[in-house]
Amino acid sequence: MDLRVDPSLPTPPSRQIVEAVLDRIAAGVVKPGDRLPSVRGLAAEALVNPNTVNKAYRDLEALGVVEGRSGAGVFVRAEAPALARGERRGATLELLKGAIETAVGAGHEPAALAQRVNQWIAEAGIPSNGVPSQARNHEVSVTPRSARGRAAKLLGSEPGSVRGGA
Amino acid sequence: MNAIEITDVHQAYGRKRVLQGATLRVPTGATTVLLGENGEGKTTLLRLCLGVLKPRTGTVRVLGLDPVRSARRVREQVGFVPDKPDVYGWMTVPELFRFLKPHYPTWSEARAKAIVAALAVPTDRTFKHMSRGEGMKAMLAAALAPDPEVLLLDEPFAGLDPLVREEVLRQVITAVGDRPRTVLCITHDLDVAARLADRIAVLSKGVVVREGPASDFVAPREEAVTPRALREAIAHAAGLAAVGAR
Repeated sequence: MDLRVDPSLPTPPSRQIVEAVLDRIAAGVVKPGDRLPSVRGLAAEALVNPNTVNKAYRDLEALGVVEGRSGAGVFVRAEAPALARGERRGATLELLKGAIETAVGAGHEPAALAQRVNQWIAEAGIPSNGVPSQARNHEVSVTPRSARGRAAKLLGSEPGSVRGGA
Repeated sequence: MNAIEITDVHQAYGRKRVLQGATLRVPTGATTVLLGENGEGKTTLLRLCLGVLKPRTGTVRVLGLDPVRSARRVREQVGFVPDKPDVYGWMTVPELFRFLKPHYPTWSEARAKAIVAALAVPTDRTFKHMSRGEGMKAMLAAALAPDPEVLLLDEPFAGLDPLVREEVLRQVITAVGDRPRTVLCITHDLDVAARLADRIAVLSKGVVVREGPASDFVAPREEAVTPRALREAIAHAAGLAAVGAR
């Protein structure tokens, strides 16, 4: 699954795994009926305690995205793509909101900002491989004194915290 | 149930007091990471569990046994990875395994071979001619070959280059996932601590000043147990111990 977890991010490792799986389902890389990697296998790959993967799988099950079949493993449910896209839309909207608030706070002219956003939407278009490129970190200039708090706030609202492609 | 119970242990080397009433419970089947600054007595705690040291006062129980009086039975069930290979420099890995095997009734040749292959441990070179990473991988393979009930790790990740560190960590995680196993791991690598720990204990001035589920170590207003939160917990614990010692 090529999934990496970074414990230095403010998003807990188990949620990083949940988001990574949702990303892959939303992008169609992981499909309904697919079996997720074993808990042990994914723990060894992502370099986290197997209990962390267990928790992530339980959370995914609670979201209705996967189901455990006793003895056979954890499988992606038919409803998963719609659910995953919904989750990702909500999360990315939240991210966008945070970025726009920061940009407005940094003194961007709202009209010019809106124009920029429209331009980027047009540029994003439909990527050739059908998979949206990873969200990039927004660079924000901050004064040293408030840098840490601002960075923490920004990072805290960032769900795209798992590195590595699908 | 606790696989390891250390109760009010005092220990000194000459006049230097190392442990001053340390108490630690390590629950069966969980991975506990032991944090603390250098010279706080972390390695001494592990040596007490192995029965190579006898506590001056207090008690140590490993799997319900006194590791000094029941040395053989404890060592048969405990895998230990020291902070540097503590074997003869002229030995090769197969020679080390031949030396260790008779001491471990549960030693599995197949398991030893599989781990050696997974970690690409050189089998034709003596320890003297191995890098630190190769030596540590060999020690980890030796510790895991008997599929031990308890795994004690003393800084196995220190001084490894990033790729080797990842390989060693992956093998430890595989050992954690293999079957229920109790792990007590000393590390200064807070990234590893955050990845590995079910529970965290902080040792300072010879006393376990804080112990609990890893989730208790989340910094205020944050959600994750980040290396930064752990660093602050260690600094805070050291401060507490300093106040207590006054």
